[in-house]
Amino acid sequence: MVAALKNPGMPRAGLGFLIGGLFGFGLVVALRAVSGLEIFQTEATGYPHVIVPGITAPIGFLIGLGCFDYWFRWASGAPTIPDDHSQHGAYSWKDYFKFNTDHKVIGIQYVVTTFCFFMIGGLLAMLMRAELAQPGTQIVDPGVFNSLFSTHAAIMIFLFIVPVFAGLANYVLPLMIGAPDMAFPRLNALSFWMLPMAGVLFMASFLAPGGAFDAGWTGYAPLSTGAPLGQSFFNLGVQFAGASSVATALNFLVTIVTMRAPGMNFWRMPLLVWANLSTSLLVVGATPFIAGAQFMVLMDRAIGTNFFQAAAGGDVISYQHIFWFYSHPAVYIMMLPGFGIVSEVISTHARKTIFGYRLMAIALLGIVILAFAVWAHHMFVSGMFAWLRVPMMITTLLIAVPTGIKIFSWLGTLFDSKLHIESTSMLFALGFLVTFVIGGISGVMLGMIPLDIHVSDTYFVVAHIHFVLFGGSVFTIFCGFYHWFPKMTGRMYDERLGRIHFWMTLVGMLGTFIPMHWIGMEGMPRRVADYAAQFGNWNLVITIFSFILGVAQLIFVYNMVVSWRFGPKAGDNPWRAKTIEWLVSSPPPVFNFDEIPRVVGGPYEFGVPGARHAIMHDGDGATVSGPEPAVAGAASGGGGGEGGGS
Amino acid sequence: MESASIAVGSAHAHEHHGPPEAHSSSKIDRQTLGILLFIVSEAMLFGAFFASYFFLREVSNPTDVWPPDGFELPKAIAGVNTAILISSSFTIHWALEGARKGNREAMKMGLAMTWLLGATFLFIQINEYVHLGFSARDGAFGSIFYGLTGLHGAHVFVGLLLLSFANIRAWRGHFGTKAEDHLGVEVPGIYWHFVDVMWIIVYVTVYIL
Ligand code: HEM
Ligand SMILES: [Cu+2]
Repeated sequence: MVAALKNPGMPRAGLGFLIGGLFGFGLVVALRAVSGLEIFQTEATGYPHVIVPGITAPIGFLIGLGCFDYWFRWASGAPTIPDDHSQHGAYSWKDYFKFNTDHKVIGIQYVVTTFCFFMIGGLLAMLMRAELAQPGTQIVDPGVFNSLFSTHAAIMIFLFIVPVFAGLANYVLPLMIGAPDMAFPRLNALSFWMLPMAGVLFMASFLAPGGAFDAGWTGYAPLSTGAPLGQSFFNLGVQFAGASSVATALNFLVTIVTMRAPGMNFWRMPLLVWANLSTSLLVVGATPFIAGAQFMVLMDRAIGTNFFQAAAGGDVISYQHIFWFYSHPAVYIMMLPGFGIVSEVISTHARKTIFGYRLMAIALLGIVILAFAVWAHHMFVSGMFAWLRVPMMITTLLIAVPTGIKIFSWLGTLFDSKLHIESTSMLFALGFLVTFVIGGISGVMLGMIPLDIHVSDTYFVVAHIHFVLFGGSVFTIFCGFYHWFPKMTGRMYDERLGRIHFWMTLVGMLGTFIPMHWIGMEGMPRRVADYAAQFGNWNLVITIFSFILGVAQLIFVYNMVVSWRFGPKAGDNPWRAKTIEWLVSSPPPVFNFDEIPRVVGGPYEFGVPGARHAIMHDGDGATVSGPEPAVAGAASGGGGGEGGGS
Repeated sequence: MESASIAVGSAHAHEHHGPPEAHSSSKIDRQTLGILLFIVSEAMLFGAFFASYFFLREVSNPTDVWPPDGFELPKAIAGVNTAILISSSFTIHWALEGARKGNREAMKMGLAMTWLLGATFLFIQINEYVHLGFSARDGAFGSIFYGLTGLHGAHVFVGLLLLSFANIRAWRGHFGTKAEDHLGVEVPGIYWHFVDVMWIIVYVTVYIL
């Protein structure tokens, strides 16, 4: 017992959580006593005795779990011990509940945790749909409904879509570029463990007096600055999720720049790597803005500053500018990794090289740059500077160009190929092409000022965001889950169940979100618990389809859990793909490679006789160790072998 | 920071073998690139507060005198404080040169002086807060003044923490002349330069303009 509390691990983390919480609480009480203020506070004063523990308790948990043990040792000046790799790799299920530095373990931790959040967010959505099945108020009152859509969106965005991509890439990206791990394995583990902390904070807000946060995932001031205590949990949770994603992005960037295998120059990187490079640039550049915005809201709420208090000279609209300066790039943070996944899957299952590989990579970078120049298209009706509207409309429409390039390149890849559509991941990739194009088109419509003014804050916007986030991001996430499931588990999932899952998801998704365009055009407002009777029929249809969508996900969970345990052995390379993660065993060895592979060609040369992407062992058997002279030449040789059409 | 050591083959000889050493595909080392990217994201965080500053000054209160009547800033004292912080950039540079050339005394003295200068800066800043006569609750100016200088103060604090670690290790005899052996001085040093440059921007914006 005592030993369990002394060594890093869950028991010590629990203890750390308690101590951290008590410390924060005591600190507030002591400081208030010293400065002669009332010790306990009321709503009017922002609850510091809840907010401060809301920061210190999660930090206590992380310390207890052992996230900082190495750094504490280092800081105290003790000699560094050579790594014995005892925190690397998972040998039993218990290792997944520890501070683990293996990128493959962290990848699975991410994927499973975020998928749990997906289920929670999904349940909240079903509750909303149940309420909306008929006009009037049946199940939840309007106040609770506000909390439902706010927590639903916050959980889905900050705890599912953004981090699940980080999880998938964590698993495959180091393998793909021939690296033994990420650049900063301990930071990587810390990034993961900050996520459950954000989750706990979001959920804890349901316990707060006044209910869970209810100002939407956008948390606009002054709605948020005047909201009850629950809103503060949103402000804090976003900080943890944001810190986690910045740290991961930094890790990806350093890994991609400094740890590529010999011969893997930039033009030989798989598109998934390119996609995560671009995404990470967006995260590093944009995420600090939401951190800043939430800090300011928290300070307005907790210590009475006036950033957004118009009466005291504050500026309300500045919140929206700062928020969207993050949150528009964020929609690409939620989409670019999916683009990467789809490129891998389409090329592999169509057995064709990517059409216009270089243009695909350049389009990604184009999106990164443009993404910072369109934020105010969310603010056409906010009363912001009138002169900013038209420039923002133009940049918004421009962003459809690189996006369109990607669509056409996938179509070009598919053109005249031998489709293997019995594989579920390919089905999801094809489904993604259809649904994402619809979402992109409604996006372009929204980018046009007159139309946007007409449908602002209606279900049309809800339809758009779900076509791009469900039909876009979630489809690519499933696409990636199915594609790499054999690699991660060493087993094969049931394709028949996978196909049922796909078709039910597609039908449920279309049935749920297509009608939303129509009722939105006719003026049904978003974020309401009750609505005019004329929308009743469509809402009933939507609710029915949304339950089909919900049930479909249970099939997925069943398929994954059972196949993980009992599925047939998958073999190392069931899809006969070329990229490096498929050239190691399934699941990959604890340290990924015995020796770093050597990259000799592009990643997608299907059907090119004799083409190879990477050589795993130099010579057969007799290993040539040490840096090979030929390698330097290959690295600087200006990528001979990438796909055609650029 | 020092996590790169994981890539170095394990010292254990028995069956428990370690990962192969990663191929280094860039001239820049991981820690330096990492801290530079971190600084980019930090600069963006300041960007959020500068954006707020812009809106509060130019959009919400465009015609008012700025700072509004009743808000006096001690420009001169803050100017001296600025000079103190800038000089610490030179001392950290001195420490780094010492580390590179194997001059341990210079390294230790440089680190210690940087730490003291940084602590002095923070002390004067807090003293200024106490005597300013307005708080973060006073108008938009109070909020953004404390927002920007406080955010910067927090960065000085973090920088001081990193420097404390570097000091402890330096005085306990760590750090060598090879580049990878004194990253523990180099990385906090880069961060400290960032804190200094950021202060110049904050000072000019908030106190002078
Ligand atoms: C061609 C590409 C796209 C264009 C032109 C576009 C345009 C727009 C516009 C103009 C709005 C504002 C609607 C309003 O509030 O009145 C909007 C909202 C939104 N878009 Fe897109 N979009 C595109 C792609 C995407 C993608 C890929 C995603 C995410 C994966 C996304 C996620 C969102 C979200 C979440 C909102 C709603 C934000 C809120 O809650 O108010 N969009 N989009
Ligand atoms: Cu946008």
